[in-house]
Amino acid sequence: MNLLVILAIIAAWIGLRFLKANSLAWAAGIWVGLYVGLSYGINPPLPSSILSMFMAIITLALVTYLTAGNDRMKEMADTIVTFVVDKRYTGALIGVLIALPLLVSFKVYLNMTQAPEPPISGRTIHPVPPNTITVNGSPFNIVEGHNPYRELESSDPDAFALHLENGRRVYYQNCVFCHGDNMEGDGQFAHGLDPIPANFQDATTIAMLQESYLYWRVAKGGPGLPSESTPWLSAMPAWENFLTEEEMWDVIMFLYDYTGQRPRVSEEVH
Amino acid sequence: MKTNSTYSPARLLRLQRSLSPGGGLNLRRVIPFGALFLILCLVGAYFVFPAGAIPVQEAQDAANPDYREFPVIGSRTIVWVVAQLHLMFAAFVLAVPMFALIIEIIGYVTKDERYDHLAYEFVKLLSVSFSFTAALGAMLTFLLLILYPSLMQYMVKIFSWTFLPYVALFFLEAIFLYSYYYGWGKFSPKVHIGLGVMLNIVGTAIMFIADAWLTFMNTPNGITETGELVSLWGAVNNFIWMPINIHRIIANVAFGGSIAAAYGAYKYLGAKTAEDKAHYDWMGYVGNFVAISAFLPLPFAGYYLGKEIYAYSQSLGITLMGGTFSWLFIVQAILIGNLFLAANYYLWVSMERIDGAERFRKYIKYLLGAITISFIVWATPHSLVASVEEARAMGGSHHPILGVLGVMSAKNTAVNVLILTTYISFLLYRRGNKEATVPWAKMGMNIQLGIFVLVTLFVIFLGIYGYFVEASVRIGLSVPQVLSVLFAMISITFIDVLLFKNAKKTGEIRWGEIGNRAQYALFFIAITFAWTMGLMGYVRAGMRQHWHVYGVIEDTSVDAFTPTIGYAAIVVSITVFIFFVFIATVFWLTGLTNKEPWKPKEERNKSVEAAG
Amino acid sequence: MTNVLKIFVFVICVLAFYAYVGQMVPQKITYPPTSTDFVGDMTPLELAAAGEEIMSGKGTCLTCHTIGSPGDGLRFPDLGGIGGRAGAQIAGMSAVDYLAESLYDPNAFVVEGFLPGMPAVSNPPINLSDNEILAVIAHLQSLGSQPTVTLDTELQWQSEEGSAPSAPTVAPGEPLDGPGVFTNYACSTCHAIDDATRLVGPSLYDAGSRLSKAEIYEAVMDPDATIAEGYPGAAMAAMLNASGFYQNVSTEELKSLVDYLASKTGQ
Repeated sequence: MNLLVILAIIAAWIGLRFLKANSLAWAAGIWVGLYVGLSYGINPPLPSSILSMFMAIITLALVTYLTAGNDRMKEMADTIVTFVVDKRYTGALIGVLIALPLLVSFKVYLNMTQAPEPPISGRTIHPVPPNTITVNGSPFNIVEGHNPYRELESSDPDAFALHLENGRRVYYQNCVFCHGDNMEGDGQFAHGLDPIPANFQDATTIAMLQESYLYWRVAKGGPGLPSESTPWLSAMPAWENFLTEEEMWDVIMFLYDYTGQRPRVSEEVH
Repeated sequence: MKTNSTYSPARLLRLQRSLSPGGGLNLRRVIPFGALFLILCLVGAYFVFPAGAIPVQEAQDAANPDYREFPVIGSRTIVWVVAQLHLMFAAFVLAVPMFALIIEIIGYVTKDERYDHLAYEFVKLLSVSFSFTAALGAMLTFLLLILYPSLMQYMVKIFSWTFLPYVALFFLEAIFLYSYYYGWGKFSPKVHIGLGVMLNIVGTAIMFIADAWLTFMNTPNGITETGELVSLWGAVNNFIWMPINIHRIIANVAFGGSIAAAYGAYKYLGAKTAEDKAHYDWMGYVGNFVAISAFLPLPFAGYYLGKEIYAYSQSLGITLMGGTFSWLFIVQAILIGNLFLAANYYLWVSMERIDGAERFRKYIKYLLGAITISFIVWATPHSLVASVEEARAMGGSHHPILGVLGVMSAKNTAVNVLILTTYISFLLYRRGNKEATVPWAKMGMNIQLGIFVLVTLFVIFLGIYGYFVEASVRIGLSVPQVLSVLFAMISITFIDVLLFKNAKKTGEIRWGEIGNRAQYALFFIAITFAWTMGLMGYVRAGMRQHWHVYGVIEDTSVDAFTPTIGYAAIVVSITVFIFFVFIATVFWLTGLTNKEPWKPKEERNKSVEAAG
Repeated sequence: MTNVLKIFVFVICVLAFYAYVGQMVPQKITYPPTSTDFVGDMTPLELAAAGEEIMSGKGTCLTCHTIGSPGDGLRFPDLGGIGGRAGAQIAGMSAVDYLAESLYDPNAFVVEGFLPGMPAVSNPPINLSDNEILAVIAHLQSLGSQPTVTLDTELQWQSEEGSAPSAPTVAPGEPLDGPGVFTNYACSTCHAIDDATRLVGPSLYDAGSRLSKAEIYEAVMDPDATIAEGYPGAAMAAMLNASGFYQNVSTEELKSLVDYLASKTGQ
């Protein structure tokens, strides 16, 4: 919700009220207000297909309202007839008659010049990992495995801090270019990638996952994604080829530490 | 053989669900084209299938079913269109006697001549429509026998014993229909009403038999895994036979009412005298009242039908409600939203001709607001069509806010609110020129208001509660929603009847002074009903996918694919157009009764001079 | 006449509008499924790839099931990671057998929290061949594990195509009449037919007045669907299986048997 936009619309409506606008002006005001509100007042913005459907329904409702009563119908018809017939408005009328076809052509032009877009396909954001993976030759069970260094957090804070420090080094040497200084997924290269790099500050990414899941993703990268999450052109490298297992765990712990998130603890097996 | 989507075989497509067409245009000039079209089809069929090529079913190997091609538009589409037309006419012919009879009984009980005349006027539309229905039915049968011989062979094998009663009932239908029509005013009222009752019973029985054929194709029953008949009754009484029967009876009445209202609208627009205008205004109102009253319970009949489809096969149910067809239900939501909007609009414009109804005008904007919001909620799809940029901004194809509206809980709530709102509009219309005089008037109205507010809150509460429970519980919530709405409508009506007994009249209903735009609203309602029927015909047949008889007889023809919704929309639009051309012909033919007798030209001129 | 013209134009406009609305939603043609060709020496991985096609296409699995988007309120089990779980669902049943059973006889074991409702994919309307089902199993295994099945894997549910047909107890070509079927398959061992005597199973001398034809048919073909009160279940299915009834009885014979039983109204 974008409160500012919504407040502005309400203010405009109150203004109409003070101006004692006639029904037609009211209808136009409501239409424009709702259009602006639906276009800019909601975050993330509505897809244009939905917006046009909503506006079509609203248009229909407003026409219904304007013509439901004889008085209002007459008021509206008079306004239009006056506009068309009265000499005073001839200039404006000509303006409208020229502007309407122009607007339509402009819309057609916009539609025709849209850049081609790839088809949209749904993809699984958090695919189900395999039960076991083999990292640099040693097997790791994702379901039951856990971060071997996490326990240091309580048993040996100093050693844990060293691991974090090492994780920081790894992150800023390797990950920062895509995932960004602030881990918001907005590194230098991020704009060239589709899908965009994960934003670790977002509460719906690493906070919802267990560390072993991250380990799988870091070690296997884009190439290791299962077929069900295709088409997935993730540019994430398979870091097992470049980092040691300890380095990967360190950087994972650093991600959680830096963002203030906690890994999801493994649930009881059903 | 095929069955497939969309078109259905055997008069099967006599479809299903909903509702009706409407307005009649008197396209005198176009009539010859309707006839021409029929003749062309027949001539075309004659040339395309020369006599030698239509031997009666040589025994065909069941494993190698055979099809013949219809030129240009293809076998499926021609059968689709003809079946749909047949269905619409049949729906009209079955529905008119139902409410004509009710109106006649009202006239008989109240001794009000007006009702008797009105009923007769509706019945006048029947005789031509009946012939059209039979002609279209014959055309459909021939087309099916020619184009889908092996499917028909199978259907005949399963249902052979149902054809004789069907034909016999058709004779009875003709006898009762014409005696009801020609015998108007010539029997004692009780005998005549008895004829009307028989007409309705026979008509309903005919529909039940035809429904058995088409529902069998969707949810075959009573057969072995290889398709051999085990129990004819099992085949007839398959899972969706009764739901479709019920759904169709209600929908037929809604459809027939809207067509009759369109007839009133058409006559109103052409009426010259104030008396005629008043009469046809009233006729349009009654037709529309019938249509909307039947329309309100229709969603509930739809739930029942859907439930039975799921009971037969979950995958059939999900094919129907999920996947590509889920978009069809968005289109349906738009149609039904339009129906509600137009029905309310008609009532609001009608209130302009009631002296005293001005005091309710201020409520219109709130009613309209409720309708618009419900309409928007109902038409919001679950997965959205979005460009890559938009999808990225939303983080997927589900919008965080709209996603909430796209689910069943929200939609059920929206539809119940729509029904309640329409009901309130009607209530306001009803008390437009009345003022309650009973001593407990104030309390009565407060009770009504209390019921209304409580039920609305309850419906909305259940809708929101539905988000917090499991799917199995959520599905069950629609029942209390529906029941509470029904309770509200029945209890409020009951109080209202007592409340306005001997009410003081504050003004007259000025029949005949309604705006022309209200008559166009009636046409709009009729067209939308007809279109909805066509669309739901597509999905009822389409959910069988590449099967003629689901899971038993596979469609191996070139038409085995399921066409797009866009293609279906065009076919439905054309079908509805042809239907309205036909119905305009019916209106015109019916109007001939009142035409001046023909005289040679000079004589006519003379009489004009004499009159002058 | 102008009125007629106006109405005519109005009708055309409304119809055009609805036709337009129909174009505004996603347009998709659904084609009938095509059968997949298999070559004899496909590796499990190749088979799994073919199985993926079948699952989204002919098998229509993904109409109901999701893969990898578990959540609350699902009406059907999510298949993500199924290959890893399959071996542990039923004690003593291997992953392949579990998956096969789920496909050939889905309601034999229903995952806790879900309702039965899946059709056997080997039957119409889905009608997958044995090879196609093997491919689906391979793909399911690949979700969370490694596929192991090949086209040579044999499953107990597979139809016995190719293997020598078991010897029929009657010469083919001469369908038995109802009493003939009754005698041939020794039904009278367990059921009295001429009086109300209780044997191992209920007497059938009044079957026609107790049961509809459809019910009789069901009682023969799926004896355990409904068991008459006070009688043991499972026995009849086992006996009929053992006597080769289900393999050998023809549709006509079955029909005449049902007719015969239905005619027994206890008179």
